[in-house]
Amino acid sequence: MAETKRICRRISLGVGVSIIASALLYADLKKGYYTPSQLGSLQQVAGPQLVPDSRYEVSAYPIPPPDLAPGDGLQEVRIYCNTCHSPRYITMQPPLPAATWKSEVNKMNKEFGASIPEDTSSKIVSYLQAHYALENRR
Amino acid sequence: MKNRDISRRDVLSCLGFTGAAFALRSRRDAIPVIGQDPGRGEAMEPFTGPGPNPHWNSVGPYIGEPQKSPLLLLTDRPVQLETPRQYFRTVFTPNEAFYVRWHLDGIPNAVDLTSWKLGIEGNVKKPLALGLSELMRNFKPVSLAATNQCSGNSRSRLQPRVPGGQWGNGAMGNAMWTGVPLRELLESAGVKDGSVQVQFQGLETGQGPSGLPSNVFLKSLDLTNPVLDQCVVAYLMNGEPLPMLNGFPVRLVVPGYFATYWTKCLTWIRVLEAPDENFWMKTGYRVPDTPRGNTSPEEVKAGNVKTVPIGRFPVRSFLISPDGSSKIPSSMTVTLRGIAFSGFGRILRVEVSDDDGRTWIAAKLGEDYGPYCFRSWDMAWKAKSPGGYSLAVRATDDKNNTQPDQPVWNPGGYLWNRIERQEIVVGETS
Repeated sequence: MAETKRICRRISLGVGVSIIASALLYADLKKGYYTPSQLGSLQQVAGPQLVPDSRYEVSAYPIPPPDLAPGDGLQEVRIYCNTCHSPRYITMQPPLPAATWKSEVNKMNKEFGASIPEDTSSKIVSYLQAHYALENRR
Repeated sequence: MKNRDISRRDVLSCLGFTGAAFALRSRRDAIPVIGQDPGRGEAMEPFTGPGPNPHWNSVGPYIGEPQKSPLLLLTDRPVQLETPRQYFRTVFTPNEAFYVRWHLDGIPNAVDLTSWKLGIEGNVKKPLALGLSELMRNFKPVSLAATNQCSGNSRSRLQPRVPGGQWGNGAMGNAMWTGVPLRELLESAGVKDGSVQVQFQGLETGQGPSGLPSNVFLKSLDLTNPVLDQCVVAYLMNGEPLPMLNGFPVRLVVPGYFATYWTKCLTWIRVLEAPDENFWMKTGYRVPDTPRGNTSPEEVKAGNVKTVPIGRFPVRSFLISPDGSSKIPSSMTVTLRGIAFSGFGRILRVEVSDDDGRTWIAAKLGEDYGPYCFRSWDMAWKAKSPGGYSLAVRATDDKNNTQPDQPVWNPGGYLWNRIERQEIVVGETS
């Protein structure tokens, strides 16, 4: 009986103190939010098999899927531009004036020896101007 | 009345109740259902322009590459990766976080050190081909702390925007480089009279026709350039072999100069009798021959811009933390931390302003590892009241170059060194 009293007293004391404490200490908490997302996920890169010989090797350099805008000329971009560099060289660029895209493709042909057929070159230029220029870049 | 005394057990159980009260309270606050908070867990807002990139770093996703921590992806083939801001909290950038920039897609995946030799050839008395063991054994190693910065670092700030790698501020790094002085290699081979330049070629190759810039990347320095006396052919980076993506087995270190001259996987050192006129010298990596390399699109269009090969990097400084991604409670004294460097000399002074440049307060400089190394700085800072603050930081080097507050523009997107600003939100404390 005495023990029950003692417990009751402790409970009432506890409740009282906790109400005061929570009122005093209450901070505007927010917690427990989670959301499904791909963002936190990045695969670890596997290393090569190491043997103590004179060959120093690393694994292949990864290419994530390209993200080029669909449209007329995409196929040509994929074939010709991709010879020397991945399409990320295009998607990385800021919105560029139409003339700049023309001179970029021109540079690939003249300076870098891309030798893209003339009509294909114009198709590539039109594609780049239609999706990656000042007026339409997303 | 001894039962009225509050025992230790009572206090502990009270605390237990209080905890339970908190638990109930927070259970009520939380919405423990996934997907209820669409503002969270989403990617950073994509940004391409046409305005300047508002972020400290570039805007790309992270990517995991061999021997590397996740870095910011600019391009995957050839590989260009940017170092995230937080890695600049230390003066020596970790190798696994060091930025990466290649020009051509034929980047080595493997190098066999039995067959690999560094050639010293061209207009020399005795051409040499030295293996890595000979470089390590036959020459007394020297170490040099030096900053490596891409010519296009911060290109995404320019207005109007220019094509090229859209770097934020992370196309830079600092390391302790150990290797053979370039001069000793040149002297061993014996440079013949009538030589004008020394050319550097690494293992990278591209898919383009032989001899074209899409096939081979070549850079040259004048033999009269005093920097040659300070160049190191480095086989160690921060006391470790170089990561493949940073130029294993050896890379040229050109202290104070932009990274375009720091040839990775250096394999041919070629003494030239005539100036190098290949694309990467004659057309690429050139800057207007004007103060700060500044010009305008109109001047370029009018054909008025005389250019010179890019050289040393101008003085810069950065606030690394706090980075503005979270609030700082008002009246809390926090430590501002950052780095400064210059290709022209030792950092003399770093100053911080929180009133838009009206007053500047000198920061405390960290250890001095030599004139070409990052210099760390820190400063205690306390916001007087809640609100938005803009922290500006500027450095001065020992040639008395101070960072200006004006932007720079040139068609290559080089030489950006405007005073950096970081917006900081200070919240109420109570």
